[in-house]
Amino acid sequence: MIREYLRRDAVFLLSSGLILIFILAGIARPDLLDATSSAVHAMILDNFSWLYLISVFFFLVFALALALSRYGSIKLGHDAEKPQYGFFGWVAMLFAAGMGIGLLFWGVSEPLVHYLQPPPFIAAASPDAAAFAMRYAFFHWGVHPWAIYAIVSLSIAYFSFRRGMPALISSCFYPVLGDRIYGLAGNLVDVLAVFATVFGTATSLGFGALQIHSGLSHLYGISSAISVTIGIIIIATALFMASAILGVEKGIQVLSKFNIALAVVLLLLILVLGSAPYVLNVFTSALGGYINNVIDMSLQSYPFAGFEWSRDWTVFYWAWWISWAPFVGLFIARISRGRTIREFVLTVLTVPSLFTFIWFSVFGGSALHLELEQGADIAAVAGEDISLALFLFLEHYPFAGVLSLVAISLLIIFFVTSADSATVVLGSLTSGGGLFVPNYKKVVWGLSLSAVAIVLLVTGGLASLQVMAITVAFPFMLVMLILCYTLVIGLSQE
Amino acid sequence: MFKKTLIPVAYGERPGELGRIGKFLEDLGSRSICLFHVDEPASLFRGADPSWLTRLAGALGETGLAVEVRRGDGHIASAIAEAALLEEVDGIFMKTKRRWHIETVLLGSVSRDLLRLSDVPVFIQKARPRLSSDGNEPGREDMKILYATDLDEASTRLLPYMMGFQGAWCHILHVRGRRADPAAERQRGKVVDEEMHRTAEDLRPYFDRVTTEQRIGNPATQVLHVSEQIGADVIALGRRRRAFFSAPLGATAERIVTGSKASIFLVPHPGGPRDP
Repeated sequence: MIREYLRRDAVFLLSSGLILIFILAGIARPDLLDATSSAVHAMILDNFSWLYLISVFFFLVFALALALSRYGSIKLGHDAEKPQYGFFGWVAMLFAAGMGIGLLFWGVSEPLVHYLQPPPFIAAASPDAAAFAMRYAFFHWGVHPWAIYAIVSLSIAYFSFRRGMPALISSCFYPVLGDRIYGLAGNLVDVLAVFATVFGTATSLGFGALQIHSGLSHLYGISSAISVTIGIIIIATALFMASAILGVEKGIQVLSKFNIALAVVLLLLILVLGSAPYVLNVFTSALGGYINNVIDMSLQSYPFAGFEWSRDWTVFYWAWWISWAPFVGLFIARISRGRTIREFVLTVLTVPSLFTFIWFSVFGGSALHLELEQGADIAAVAGEDISLALFLFLEHYPFAGVLSLVAISLLIIFFVTSADSATVVLGSLTSGGGLFVPNYKKVVWGLSLSAVAIVLLVTGGLASLQVMAITVAFPFMLVMLILCYTLVIGLSQE
Repeated sequence: MFKKTLIPVAYGERPGELGRIGKFLEDLGSRSICLFHVDEPASLFRGADPSWLTRLAGALGETGLAVEVRRGDGHIASAIAEAALLEEVDGIFMKTKRRWHIETVLLGSVSRDLLRLSDVPVFIQKARPRLSSDGNEPGREDMKILYATDLDEASTRLLPYMMGFQGAWCHILHVRGRRADPAAERQRGKVVDEEMHRTAEDLRPYFDRVTTEQRIGNPATQVLHVSEQIGADVIALGRRRRAFFSAPLGATAERIVTGSKASIFLVPHPGGPRDP
């Protein structure tokens, strides 16, 4: 009986046990945890930052090659199957998957920080730096992240819908591992996916909590102590745990749709209340610069300029996206049943990317407009405290207080909906890929997400979040490279 | 198996050993032998007295086989492959020479080149089967033939030649890649089992014992593994036309011939000029 339980729930026991050890280590010896994770992170960056760049570029080329090859017409489902959702509904859901805390956190701050702190060969705070900033914001949030998601999603969808296997990462390993996917080797693959999801989501939750705290401090002058950030995480945890356990999925769906609508309203308000022609020019120019430089940026680690810029930004982003890949990949796979590989890849690569380009043009472009044309001093403060950039930016608009409150509401709702979805996905990954997840697993994963976010914030703040995202993404990146191979094996047998 | 066989010989070959090869080939059905020597442009023995070839032919003639001697020049493996076509032989029998690995890497291997270039079947003799020096050839019932097949056209072309080993133990091995999911894997395993069973039934009247086995993995690795496991004397396999990208990497057959202690019997892809 116990042996059967251990065998059935090995992934859950192993991954939750390891994460519990991480949390306890963070509480007992935060200095040791920080030193260890920094050492591992430094080792990965010193030796393998090039691998992140080349792998993510490969994922993009691979996804496009699949779409344009004869495999492009293969359905993610049985041949006679119709798509589960209509085209516009599906596109809307992809659109929603691209929205989240990250866009709010980085929408203003990333272009501003690049503008103020570009690589050494570009003069800081210059027009060239502004063009560079927008180009790289597009690059970090463009087709590359979606290529990462597309690889994981395609693999899960293909092996699950077309080959009839459970919706688990380990299922995709059947062509190389055979029946060992049901044993230790398969469990380890799933544990890596769980790890990536926990730390990727915790990083986003950490960013969200920091920004909510910054917004509240800015608006109401509340204390900037870390304990307040922890308090925010605890309150948000109570909210999303309640929704996950009480089974108010419908409510969460409504809240999620409302939030996306609210985000679009905020976007339109910033566009209309600011300088729309300037923003649209920024969009056009940055898109041109992005298309023109995409291959160079994809493989550029600036080895003759000290590597730091690329490591601090591009490698961090790629790692962060990779750590989100099991979560987003599983979600996109579930809504894409019945699509052909060609329409899946081409839509997933273009639609959400286009939306993020518009988002960055509106928020980043408007912030640069204020900085360059109206002498606003947002960039310098954003350089000091990234989480404050959005609220400093909103101050330059009419009804700044209302807009800031809208932004904080968006952040809180995104926090709750993301964490709620992550809890369900983690539960599914540790329950054999099934849709029924016992409540105790939801509790374990919900608490784990928040506890990891708190531990990381306490041990080193923003830097700690980035360090752990890069560290846990590394093994999952290797898993993704093997996924490409197994996908080709599967498709070649069609 | 081969009515007319081409045996490439080099200076220094021992007549006694060639006599044993003659007996072995006669036992496999050979009636005439074409002894072929390639004069290498830079060889120290290029101008040597050709009587050594006559002595070798004499030793072979004592076994009762009709022997003719031919000479050629140029790249050794290419010259042998070309001579096999010109002389209209049914197959080539070649004994490998033990070489250091580094030597093979630097100079290449005639047997590997020949396996790649030949349009007629090739038998590469290695450590097994051990040809007896007292004239008593290994009995057929003691011989173990590993028939490595992927059940496609290239390996079914080998089947008629297999009759030449009649009376031996034939172990049919199929190595393949794993299917993408467990259901497809079970289905494929079943289909392969049925096809192997049919092949085994075709061979059963000619062999003392026929067994089958299917494995998943790298073909060269698995064939070598099973060959050692059963102590095979001969590994029989077909050669496919190679895809453009796999050509520089070496075919499965070439990797097997490098690592195997058993002799290799290889029948080239369809399109070769002579059928058995």
